[in-house]
Amino acid sequence: MSAETPQCARQVDRVLERSLRDLDIPPRPLILDRIRDEMNGPEPDPGRIARLIGRDVGLAAGLIKTANSPYFGYPRRARSVAEALRMLGLDAASRAIAAISLRRAFPDGACYERFWHNSAQIAALSGWLAQRCDGLGVPADKAYTYGLFRDCGIVILLRRYADYPRILAAANADPEGSFTGHELAALPTEHALVGSLLAQNWWLPDALVLAIRHHHARPLLEHPDAGLPTPGANLVALAQTAERLVLLATGGAQTEEWAKLGPACLARLGLAEEGMAALAGEAAELLGDID
Amino acid sequence: MSNRKFAPDPITGFLNRGAGLSVARRLVDEAAAGRQPISVLWLDIDRFQNVNASFGHRGGDRVIANVASRLRAVLPDGGVCARMGSDEFLVLLPGWQLVAMRGLAARLAEALELPVPMGGVMLHPTASIGLAGLLPGEHCHRFLERADRAMLDAKRQGGNRLVVSEDTMLADGHSLCLVREELAIEADLHRALDEGWLSLDFQPVLRFDGRLEAVEGLMRCRVDGRSLPPGRFIPVAEKTGLIVRLGEWSLLQGARFAARLRDEGRPTRVAINVSRAQLTSPSFLPALHGALLCAGIDPALLELELTESLVMENTELVQAHLRRIRETGVGLAIDDFGTGYSSLSCLMDLPATKLKLDRSFVQVLPDDPRAFAVVRAMSRLARELGMVMVAEGVETEAQLTALRAADVDAVQGFVWARPMNEQALLDWLEQRKTP
Repeated sequence: MSAETPQCARQVDRVLERSLRDLDIPPRPLILDRIRDEMNGPEPDPGRIARLIGRDVGLAAGLIKTANSPYFGYPRRARSVAEALRMLGLDAASRAIAAISLRRAFPDGACYERFWHNSAQIAALSGWLAQRCDGLGVPADKAYTYGLFRDCGIVILLRRYADYPRILAAANADPEGSFTGHELAALPTEHALVGSLLAQNWWLPDALVLAIRHHHARPLLEHPDAGLPTPGANLVALAQTAERLVLLATGGAQTEEWAKLGPACLARLGLAEEGMAALAGEAAELLGDID
Repeated sequence: MSNRKFAPDPITGFLNRGAGLSVARRLVDEAAAGRQPISVLWLDIDRFQNVNASFGHRGGDRVIANVASRLRAVLPDGGVCARMGSDEFLVLLPGWQLVAMRGLAARLAEALELPVPMGGVMLHPTASIGLAGLLPGEHCHRFLERADRAMLDAKRQGGNRLVVSEDTMLADGHSLCLVREELAIEADLHRALDEGWLSLDFQPVLRFDGRLEAVEGLMRCRVDGRSLPPGRFIPVAEKTGLIVRLGEWSLLQGARFAARLRDEGRPTRVAINVSRAQLTSPSFLPALHGALLCAGIDPALLELELTESLVMENTELVQAHLRRIRETGVGLAIDDFGTGYSSLSCLMDLPATKLKLDRSFVQVLPDDPRAFAVVRAMSRLARELGMVMVAEGVETEAQLTALRAADVDAVQGFVWARPMNEQALLDWLEQRKTP
């Protein structure tokens, strides 16, 4: 009855067997633990955190760049890590560091490059939309972080399953069925769940974790009492609408997700489909600034 | 307000707890804004645990579905029903005065009295009912608390009765304290998930030759620097459904730690507890695979611990999930073994890899020769069936000697090691290496 018996080994799903052999989960960056310890300590000291961040030049530069990003609309520019921390606050800085670390946690590869570029665009427009829809009360940086992490499960699955691009294409092209349902029909797991596990492991706030997990769940978006609290549902709506704007602005291939989720997203944000073309025009200008 | 039925509870079709609370908040706000009355009825089936114990969860579900249909039959238009716990229901009636609610409660009690046929006997369900009407300026949670407290009063008076909440609050601090404490723990758990205040401690399970058989992950929760005992937060997590997310978090942390142990050159099986709610949740298998995938471990390095009563539950879903667990190659340990009523034939069909003997057997060793005989017979049987036998809660050298004589394979308990955090466990392993 032990795991090693030939009978059991035969039973192991072939896909799974292939997939579980080697290790490359992006581990939680140590700096996130340090910042969390500092924040949970009796007297959080931003100076100490700034010194920790300052030891990593790339991280420090990324954080200053984040604080100065036009999407966050801070009136003056940060010149040091300490200033960036003061402007962002420890919570937002911690999310920004997670966002910067996310990209680094995965190895480079041409096919991922496109994915990350797309995520960066969605994240940027999510932050921008959050500012425009300020009645929602979603901080721009939270929407930005969410946009970046929302689909990180896809990268994990892409690296595991050779067949995954085909599954993604089928899910994207299905006007009726659930996106994650396509994945579960072919794989033992799905990207939204995997992404939410990673996000939880990286100490992202619970609203973000839930919003990642349920970002394809139409009923949860349509019914305010169905189990996804409002802050999470707002994040889903912002990023989904941002994705739509990216596609409109760049002329990218359309997916069927918008037909399924779009109306609920627009209703949540107080926007109308007719206004999307004009928004896409503004978005196109903003996207020009993203490297 | 119509009784919108999104997020229905699968057994009753009513709103689930979360949706019920959310709808209650809205209705209370609307009633307060329009200066309209609103009343609430909190109903709890008496001695429902006996139904579950005698007829299993499937039988229990049938009774609940039956009660729900009777509730629905007497529910007036505009009423909202929610299932708040395994045997608890909330009925909200916007526009209703308390006095009208009394009539409804009486009709409800009458409807419940009709017998339910079950396993050849007739059950006569009764309920404890608490009633409350919204006070001016009252907050929703206080309003619901009063109804819950009235229900507990009804229960304390022997059940099968109706208690109307006194409009003077805090008349009896005791049950109110309990409700408050539960709500506070629920809020703490949400914060713990939000702020990363959860952790796992690990307790080693050792074979008699000193080899490490496994480590068991035990969930810990610290809120604002104070530790919340598992005995208090786990029941609340189970009642509120949060246990599913806490369980998924544990799975990933267990798998991640197994990867760390392997990377440090000490490949060790990590055992994680799985609750009934988690095992039967639709997200269970995707979460298990997601955790294995994220951690990138050989599935044999993960072991799931389930209680005997859960494993013996003969529902299709439970048995299918147990099979799928084994098909992935993840180990399956039966916790608290010997406390249920498993027959030996059941044991033969079980897909388990390990039995964890309940501590009640260990506590009476070495003085009880009958217990010793039972433990020895079970150990031999387990071995014949290809399972590992572990004794839990071992505290003394005398128990250790008896267990070794009884052919138990491995031991977990304070006598050898307490639960430790990740780093402490790694240090402990390091120390063991260097004599």
